[in-house]
Amino acid sequence: MADAEFERDVLLHIDALYNFALYLTRHPSEADDLVQETYLRAFRFSHRFQRGTHLRAWLFQILRNTFFTFYRIRDREAAVAEDGVPDWDVPMFHDAPDEDGKATETHTDLERAMRRLPEEFRTVLLLAEVEGMPLEEVARAMSCPVGTVKSRIFRAKERLRGLLRDYDTK
Amino acid sequence: MTGRYDDLSDEELGRRLRAELPRYAAPAHLRRAVRDSIPARVPRLPWLTPALSAMATALVLILFFVPGLPRLVPADPAERLVRAVVSEHTRTLLWGARRADVVLATLPELSRETGVSLTRSFIGDDQLTLVGAEPVYVDRRRGIAIHYRDSDGHLVSYVAVPAPGVTVPDHERVSVDRYRPALIHDSGFAAWMWRQGEMVCVIVSDRVSNSELETFKGYFLRLRAATEPLSAY
Repeated sequence: MADAEFERDVLLHIDALYNFALYLTRHPSEADDLVQETYLRAFRFSHRFQRGTHLRAWLFQILRNTFFTFYRIRDREAAVAEDGVPDWDVPMFHDAPDEDGKATETHTDLERAMRRLPEEFRTVLLLAEVEGMPLEEVARAMSCPVGTVKSRIFRAKERLRGLLRDYDTK
Repeated sequence: MTGRYDDLSDEELGRRLRAELPRYAAPAHLRRAVRDSIPARVPRLPWLTPALSAMATALVLILFFVPGLPRLVPADPAERLVRAVVSEHTRTLLWGARRADVVLATLPELSRETGVSLTRSFIGDDQLTLVGAEPVYVDRRRGIAIHYRDSDGHLVSYVAVPAPGVTVPDHERVSVDRYRPALIHDSGFAAWMWRQGEMVCVIVSDRVSNSELETFKGYFLRLRAATEPLSAY
């Protein structure tokens, strides 16, 4: 059973979790579901969380595992869909509110490039660079060694830089 | 051709991700839904866990020591003997008669083992069927037990032990034909008890109700009249 302190602490991260969920799923409604499911699991398994360790990393880890679970289920469902075309892969960032000027264009390029990255690269950049999490926390959230995180960050930036360069030339 | 992203260092790319990648805040309805999903807290009872642990420990200790505790035994030798016979009857009920031999064939051996000989014995009729005979050790006395089963399937045990010092309680005596045995109830069983010379004889059955008393009297009469136990030594 979650206590009041635990409830208060986990709710502090709802914006970061939603942002991460949105970049993973690309759909606001799916991000809602993912975050809700993450919190349900967090409350259900709050007794497993060790006080004094990284709550944020633990929550991101739950969210990411939940995302994989959902997608595995949905991939199976999509495979047997009648039309054979899963409709969940429509990118959402085209619908992002437009802002004028160069910043909007840059945002669009960055978002589009991020969206095209493989999940493990997207996640490592979101957690390490955007959320500013220490590498140890990122490693915990991604269930991999710190060395792997470093390697993924390096490769993700290489890949991202290449994608941005493509947009630039266009 | 030189683009905007050509010369981005790792640090610069990280900085631009932090600064320029839009961050989306959780919508209000999601916050509400998450808050609503918080499970209601049950008030903690700090004493409950230690109390349950203590109770469990006490229960284990009780179960461990109970077999070694002194048992309440009746002070009256007659009641004590009847209780021992009832225990033997219960054991036979639970485990079944182990020696379903014809009693006549086993009598010499039983006499040697128990020191009780039967000059006559009831070998059954249309109401009681002989099940078997065996030596018993009740209230520190060797004796002989003969088990019967009546027409309704009830087990009836007859036990005879040499007990010179045991007297039949007068206040329990009941007139049955020309005899006056004591009718004693113990542990949910009914028992007839009487003396025959130096022997004390007990018949035990679970026919305990008043409506079954006449039937039980009939069993007594059959066994009393047809069985003659003697101390062999």
